[in-house]
Amino acid sequence: MNPELSQFAARLRELIQGRDAALRCPCPAGRNQRGFASNFPSPDAALGDGDGAARHPYHDSEFNSLALELFGLQFKFNPAYRKICEARKLTPDVVEHWTQIPAVPTATFKELELTSFTPEERTAIFHSSGTTEQIPSRHFHNAESLAVYEASLWSWFQLHFGNEGELVFLTPNQNAAPHSSLVHMFETVRQKFGLPESAFTGNISGDGTWVLDFTATIKKLNSACDLKVPLTLLGTAFSFVHLLDYLAENNLQFCLPKNSRAMETGGYKNRSRVMSKAELHQLIKLRLGVSRVHCEYGMSELSSQAYEQEVRRFDFPSWARVQIISPETNREVAEGETGIIRVFDLANVFSVAAIQTEDLGVRRGDGFELIGRAQLAEPRGCSLMTA
Amino acid sequence: MNLPNFFFADLPPEATLSPTLIAAACDTLKRNRVKYLLPRKTEDIVKILCEVATEWLQPENQFRKLALELGPAETGFSKPILEKGLDGFFCQFTPDNFHALLKQELGHAQRLDQFVAGDDDNLNRTAMVHGPEFIVHVAAGNLPNPALMSLTLGLLTRSAQFMKCASGAALMPRLFAHSIYQIDPKLGACLEIAEWRGGNHELENELFAHADCLTATGSDETLAAIRARLPARVRLLSYGQRVSFGFVTREVLREETIGEIVSRAADDVIAWDQHGCLSPHCFYVEERGAVESDKFAQLLAVELAKRESTEPRGKISVEESATIASRRAIYETIAAHRADAKIWSSQNSTAWTVVFEHDVRFQFSCLNRFIYVKPVPDVAAVLPGVDEIRGKVSTVGIAAPPEKMKELALRFARWGATRICPLGQMQNPPLTWRHDGRPALGDLITWTDFEL
Repeated sequence: MNPELSQFAARLRELIQGRDAALRCPCPAGRNQRGFASNFPSPDAALGDGDGAARHPYHDSEFNSLALELFGLQFKFNPAYRKICEARKLTPDVVEHWTQIPAVPTATFKELELTSFTPEERTAIFHSSGTTEQIPSRHFHNAESLAVYEASLWSWFQLHFGNEGELVFLTPNQNAAPHSSLVHMFETVRQKFGLPESAFTGNISGDGTWVLDFTATIKKLNSACDLKVPLTLLGTAFSFVHLLDYLAENNLQFCLPKNSRAMETGGYKNRSRVMSKAELHQLIKLRLGVSRVHCEYGMSELSSQAYEQEVRRFDFPSWARVQIISPETNREVAEGETGIIRVFDLANVFSVAAIQTEDLGVRRGDGFELIGRAQLAEPRGCSLMTA
Repeated sequence: MNLPNFFFADLPPEATLSPTLIAAACDTLKRNRVKYLLPRKTEDIVKILCEVATEWLQPENQFRKLALELGPAETGFSKPILEKGLDGFFCQFTPDNFHALLKQELGHAQRLDQFVAGDDDNLNRTAMVHGPEFIVHVAAGNLPNPALMSLTLGLLTRSAQFMKCASGAALMPRLFAHSIYQIDPKLGACLEIAEWRGGNHELENELFAHADCLTATGSDETLAAIRARLPARVRLLSYGQRVSFGFVTREVLREETIGEIVSRAADDVIAWDQHGCLSPHCFYVEERGAVESDKFAQLLAVELAKRESTEPRGKISVEESATIASRRAIYETIAAHRADAKIWSSQNSTAWTVVFEHDVRFQFSCLNRFIYVKPVPDVAAVLPGVDEIRGKVSTVGIAAPPEKMKELALRFARWGATRICPLGQMQNPPLTWRHDGRPALGDLITWTDFEL
């Protein structure tokens, strides 16, 4: 294992968890001593309101120095990434600010080994879930990188959903879907919440697609209603559509206890009919009787997620930053304008921190409004392998 | 735009169409056809069409001016591109060209007017042809010329015509219809132009019920949806999605000719910003010419950069722009890892992109002047590469010495291409072009044989 990257990962985890600790302990001293915000001049303002509205809780210079340090390490220890940087003539000796760090398109995770792990060190792998691609993305992991991933996802999840209560995950469990970063996230959350394995109500069908065990799901819904315990349902947009269709067909409607919520993520990927976000959220509220539907934005190529904090505004945690890039000029767009979503995720320690997605978003302050996926971006059957 | 309200598409956006209005319009068109169109001679109609085209070619013509003034915003093409595309189309409207078209399609230029014997008919038989009473056109929105050609053919067959344009795509058909109306209001009265978003079953079912023949251009899904809803008696002429590519032989890749070849390749890429079925997605370029294939790609990039200043690409949506940017990013990464892959692209814009890659497989371009150059050892290597688009290819544009053209044409024809033309002419088919390999007028008309 590379000692320099390991040391960075350990430091980042502490910073993330320090922030997490600071959030649980409202004393400013706690934040200053341990948290990500230790250098931030005004931590009170930085942490935002109690609902978790994320503002960057540290000075840009702190993020910048961490990002440049990580870039230097990734350039040094990630050969596939180094080639990209060299071709673009953006190397650590010329890059002065994190916004100049070369971002790699998510599609290149399909064939390039964008990792600093040696083949022996790779003990886990996350694949993208699209169904139209011949080759899925490959994000290599091992215990160290997963520890950073877990620290990152948990800290930000907890801020939005707390750390106790009743949860149902509308996905298969980790044994059934070991290569899903989403399922890994849900499994981490399940363990932190101390929930039984049965919190997962999805299965893998014969052809490898995700299906819902309706009986098990309905049982969970009934139980929450009987016990009057608020329930949070978490799943992909298509799994919610499957559930809603089932409820409609069977003329079922639930009024889940007060403060019950839903969290949906991802697109439809041809696995169900497509409906607009507004329609989906309205139906979820109607059929399940939940008061709020949260949206999550994540992907296998990242180690942090964004949540929709306000209507039409997603935010990443403070260790990941988003830029909305004009496809015409390759520069950040002005507030309110649309462009390609680019994420700089410090938690991607052992792969590549600067990721160019194929999604479009509108710049909203430090966050973004999600518009959707750019069409046909990826050429068919392109081969990155050396001829 | 100060145009009188002759057509539905002239009405203000708040005016809503109803099945009743559509039905009334169809009846009027059919009545007008009997009064004004059926009695006309082919020669008259050709004369009027040529007059209309001559007008369009005048710089001061009001419809041309409107097309060039409003076109960039309405169609997404820059003024020079519209100008070039429309001029290329209208300059072909000559009596000789129409005569050639009628002769080609009907065997005789007067066959729509009277019984005539064909060259090969024996003396005991003559024949004449009739167009459908009422043609409905469902026009795609990508570029204007095919819609204008459909209306032209329908006038030749003396058919009443209703053109349904995709939403936001009615400007050019509308201006063309007005220009006909201005020269001959009676002919104009046999045309209707309307615009609505496809899939409005209420309006479309009414319209389809009146049709004898329906021409439709669009995606395979759109066409399948129309087919499923069309009454069985209606003849459907559907033009689905087609793609095109170019082929350059090593003999023309010489220092003396390379400038001309590259310029012609650029003509094909910039025409209608690559939006038509006839626009190339890839150029297959033979290796081992005096000028190598990667040099061809590089020179094409230089040429596209030059053209951007005189014939700029139109404005595109942020989605289209993002698609180009994302695809460029992928190829930049490929180029960083493979010495034999290269990419050239416009700075600070997505105006043009040239990707050079050693992969013989046909690649769908994301259009808007994004072109692939693929080196091949010879023509035999091209065919396996394009195998998966077999049957879906419209045009193969070829740059080769004259003595080699015929042999190459035969090869691509046997393989299944429906049009082979010189490089540089891909988006400029003649009036006699057989769209997707089908007869231009021949599919519209019905014959009557008269045996003596």
